[in-house]
Parts: sequence; C-alpha cells; structure tokens
Amino acid sequence: MKNISKNSMIAFGLLAIMGVFPFFANSAWIAIGTTFLVFSAVAFSQDIILGRAGAFHMGHAAFFGIGAYTTAILNVHFGWPILATWAPAVIIPVVIALLVTGPIIHLRGDYLLVATIGINIVFIQILENDLFGLTGGPNGIFGIEVIKVFGFEFFEQIHMYYLAFILLGITLFIMKSLDSSKFGRAMFYINKDDIAAQSMGISIRYYKLYAFAIGAGIAGAAGSMFAVQYSAVSPEAFNVLQSIMFFTIVLVGGSASLPGVLIGTFVMFILPEIFREFETARYLVFGVAMILTMILRPRGIWPVKFGNIPSFLKKDVK
Amino acid sequence: MSEYLLEIKNVSKFFYGLTAIDALSLKVKQGQIYGIIGPNGAGKTTLFNCITGIYTPEEGEILWKGKDIKGTPPHKIAELGILRTFQTIRLFAEMSVAENIMSGRHIKSKQKWYNGLIPTPAYYKDERENWEKVGELMEFFGLSQYATTPAGDLSYGVQRKIEMARALAAEPELLILDEPAAGLNENETIELAKTIREIRERGVTIMMIEHDMEMVMSLTEYITVINFGAKISAGVPAFVQDDPIVVEAYIGSDDEDE
Ligand SMILES: Nc1ncnc2c1ncn2[C@@H]1O[C@H](COP(=O)(O)OP(=O)(O)OP(=O)(O)O)[C@@H](O)[C@H]1O
Ligand SMILES: [Mg+2]
Repeated sequence: MKNISKNSMIAFGLLAIMGVFPFFANSAWIAIGTTFLVFSAVAFSQDIILGRAGAFHMGHAAFFGIGAYTTAILNVHFGWPILATWAPAVIIPVVIALLVTGPIIHLRGDYLLVATIGINIVFIQILENDLFGLTGGPNGIFGIEVIKVFGFEFFEQIHMYYLAFILLGITLFIMKSLDSSKFGRAMFYINKDDIAAQSMGISIRYYKLYAFAIGAGIAGAAGSMFAVQYSAVSPEAFNVLQSIMFFTIVLVGGSASLPGVLIGTFVMFILPEIFREFETARYLVFGVAMILTMILRPRGIWPVKFGNIPSFLKKDVK
Repeated sequence: MSEYLLEIKNVSKFFYGLTAIDALSLKVKQGQIYGIIGPNGAGKTTLFNCITGIYTPEEGEILWKGKDIKGTPPHKIAELGILRTFQTIRLFAEMSVAENIMSGRHIKSKQKWYNGLIPTPAYYKDERENWEKVGELMEFFGLSQYATTPAGDLSYGVQRKIEMARALAAEPELLILDEPAAGLNENETIELAKTIREIRERGVTIMMIEHDMEMVMSLTEYITVINFGAKISAGVPAFVQDDPIVVEAYIGSDDEDE
C-alpha cells in the first residue's frame, strides 16, 4: 500500500509504541497511559463533531458522563455485569444526543456553542440532584465492579490499559471508515461551505446529527471504561470545564488531524500528570498553550492535510 | 407532463420592502441553453437562488417537470437534478480538487448509513466507481494535474472549471451557471463556451446568467432580460439584442460589461 498517508503512518507508529508501553512501565505509569487512551478516544469523538462536521459543540463531557453513569448505575444499582452495560453505555448517549441536539442542530457557531454548554449544565444539575435516587448526588457512585469474563477478573491496571487500547483502536477504525466514506466527506463539505454543500445535495441536518450520534456513542463507550477504571463516577469529571478541555484539544492539536488530536490530548491531560509539580498549574498550562497555539498556529499544532484520494487519480500530478 | 423542464410563474421575492423579483415568468425547454441577462442588481442571482431553494419566493410557482418545487430545501433540489455554480465562487478551498468534485457524487453514491463506520464490499465498489467518475471529469476539464492541489490555491479560471465539474459530477438535468465567464480572460472564455456546448451535447439543459454579451448572444438559444426584478424583454438573441427597451435599460445603467 503506497498511498498510506504520512499522518496514518505516524499514527500507526504511535499505536505500536502504546501497544508495547505497559511492558516497560510500572502500574502508576500504566494508569496514566490508560487515562491517555480513554481521553484520546473522547477527543477523537469530539473531533468528529467539531473538526469534521464543524459544529461548535461545547458539551461533550455530558455524553462521556452519560456513558460512565450508565455503566455505574446498571452495575451498582441493578447488579448488571460490566460487560452487559457496554451496549447501553453506547446506545443511551447516542439516543440522548439525537434527542437533545435535534432541536438545536440548525443553530450556527456561537449559538450552538451556548446551547451545548446548556446541555452540559443541565446534565450536571441532574447528577447533583440525584435524579430518581440513581445518580448519587454530588458524591456520585462508588463501588463499580471490575470486568469479569467466565470467572476471570480483569482487575489489574494492565487489563484496563489494553481494554482502553482496543477502544482507541476501534475509534481509529471508525474514524478511518468515516474519512473515506461519503459521510465523512459530507461533514467536511458542510464545515467548509454549507451553502455549497447543500447545493450539492447534502442535508446539513442529517450529517450533523450523524456526527453527533457517532461522537456520543464513542464518548459513551469511553465513559463506561473510565467508570470501571476508577471504580467510581462523580459529576465534576463531566462538567463544562471538561467539555472545554475536549473542545480545546481539537483546536490546539489540529481539527480533523489524527496526530494533532493525540498531541492535543497529551499536552492537555498527560503532561500535567507527568510533571507532578505542574499539576497545580495545570490550567495555566492549558491557558498558555491555547493562547500561543491560536496566535502562532491558528489551524492547530499539527493541522490536517486534505487530498485523501485514490492513487489512480494522482497519476498526472506533478 | 409539461413540455417545459422548468417553468417560473409569476414569481416575486421581496427583501424588506425591496422587490428583488417582480412577478417574473419564464419557461425553459429540455435541452436548451437559456440566457438570463440584465443590469447589476436586476435580480438575476436572486432568481437562481429561488430556483435552487436558497430563497423561497413569497409569490408564484416554480414548476419542475410540471410539479411545484417552491419551498423545497436546496439539498432536495439537487436530488431532483438541478445543480448550480455560484457567481462568487464557493469551493471547499482547503480540500483538494478531486475531493471538491467528489462532493458532486454525493447524491449518486449508494453507501449505506453504516458505511460511515464500517466498509463493506458494496461500499468499496461504490467508492471506486465514484472516484473514477471524478477522474473522468478532471480529464474532461483538464484538471487531472491538480487532483491533489487545494482548490483555493488555484487561479480564478481553474476554480470556475472545478465548480462546473463539481456540479456536473451530480449528473444534473439542469445546470445553472451564474456568470461563468466572470473573471476569465478571452481564451478562457472561448474555451468555456466550447465546454458549455459539449455539456449540452450530453443532454444537459443549461440556464446561465452572463454579462459577456458576445458570449450570451452566440451561445444561448433564448434569453430573458430582467431589470429591477421584472422581465423587460424575452426572445431569441437576435431579437433581444436589438430590442430598444433592452438597449435603454443597459444605457440607463452604466455598467454593461464588467
Ligand atoms: N439576501 C438579501 N437580502 C437583501 N437584499 C438582497 C439579498 N440578496 C439580494 N438582494 C438585493 O436584491 C437585488 C437583486 O440582487 P441580485 O444579486 O439578484 O442581482 P443580480 O442581477 O444578480 O446582480 P449582479 O449582476 O450584480 O450579480 C439587489 O438590490 C440586492 O441588493
Ligand atoms: Mg448576480
């Protein structure tokens, strides 16, 4: 395959490194690695909505949280095994995303931004007010079990790491499918010029909702994994600040750019973990990175390169 | 079914009290190259925007093969087979030329909703066929060498070609061109006229707005002249050209040719 792009080669390289990483790391590092994988999946799902469809969505932590709480509630309150909660942890965020973004999907730019922040705030209020006695209020839910398959318990950190690794792999597979299908392209067309896109027969509503549905589904799956990794969920992990973080990762890393989003996640979530003394200044790092990137590289640290076309069309290109 | 492909009947469009189109009627026959001319601000682009669903006229009917399509959203208009180019070029500037043209294949692509998540054998076939179509169009318009170049990096003349290729990729029945020769040099204009004829030979009906009188007069078979939103004259080019009302309208406005 000679038409593999430079970007996907870099992505494969990074994946290979992450695949062997646990063999060279202690469990604290593996835990950081797991967080990186989970947050990367969420960042990529944000990137489908923001980087591809161009929808200014600042409430993504809500879908991440819905996935996490679905697993937590079904496991702790209803005794479902974790494995059985996976499907609902994907489907429920998708359905809710379609229901709540359906009426606001026609909003543009800043209006959509405000509306999606609203969605996130309402979600946090529901959690904190212990809806139906299920969400556990401000403290959240504790005591989420580990994954069990045929009596085998996935209790070690390295197990979570590889599960998260598989999740990220599936996410990347979906992104690849999306980008090389009419669905991903339609999102880019809408993003770049919505009038032209419509005039070519592309329904803005359909493809934006499609982006939200996939984005929410992936975020939900990541949320489920997050809940199991920490064996607890609480509202502050899914508040607007987290949404801002996911939004920023995409813009700072580079919209619709695979390495860009990975770099963004690394800078925003992992660097502060690595340099412990940074942790208190975590938001300072964010802030400075955001400002500098927007001034110096307004399209992101590693901007996307278009031109993802079959090689037989490139024969006349000089 | 009507003998006309497109019929505009008494269409009016108002913008806050301004009458942009004033009870306008016209009929386009299958296979015609139909010209719309008129001074700046006459309402020509607004008419095209009404046909393509960007605007909904307040009054009148727009009949496509005898069926009223007024109020149909733009993406549905494209599905009906009405495709357009824009007066101010609207390309997906950062995307490659091939990807731009591929957007025209959107409505022809048979990919299923789950192909955005997972490829299937039918998907690979569909994807291949559509890219091949893009390849053919790039060859037809002499764009193959720019396949991977971002559309926004290319010259005005080339961008106009990309817009036409993109619209044609959707295999339209009616192709609507809003000032296709604007910004082109003389050679490019001659080449464009030839291309438009070739497109018609493929069975595509063409409606075009154009300020380049030489081109309109030599290319179109029927012309409607609009001034202040209303039709002031209509007929074959030779008739319209000598119609005193038309001459008057163009002298009255000082910007016949830009
Ligand atoms: N969206 C809009 N809102 C308000 N007024 C508009 C709008 N679009 C067009 N107009 C007005 O309607 C009138 C017709 O404009 P239109 O663009 O259709 O003219 P045109 O014949 O295409 O002119 P040109 O040859 O300069 O392209 C103008 O007075 C214009 O200012
Ligand atoms: Mg105009």
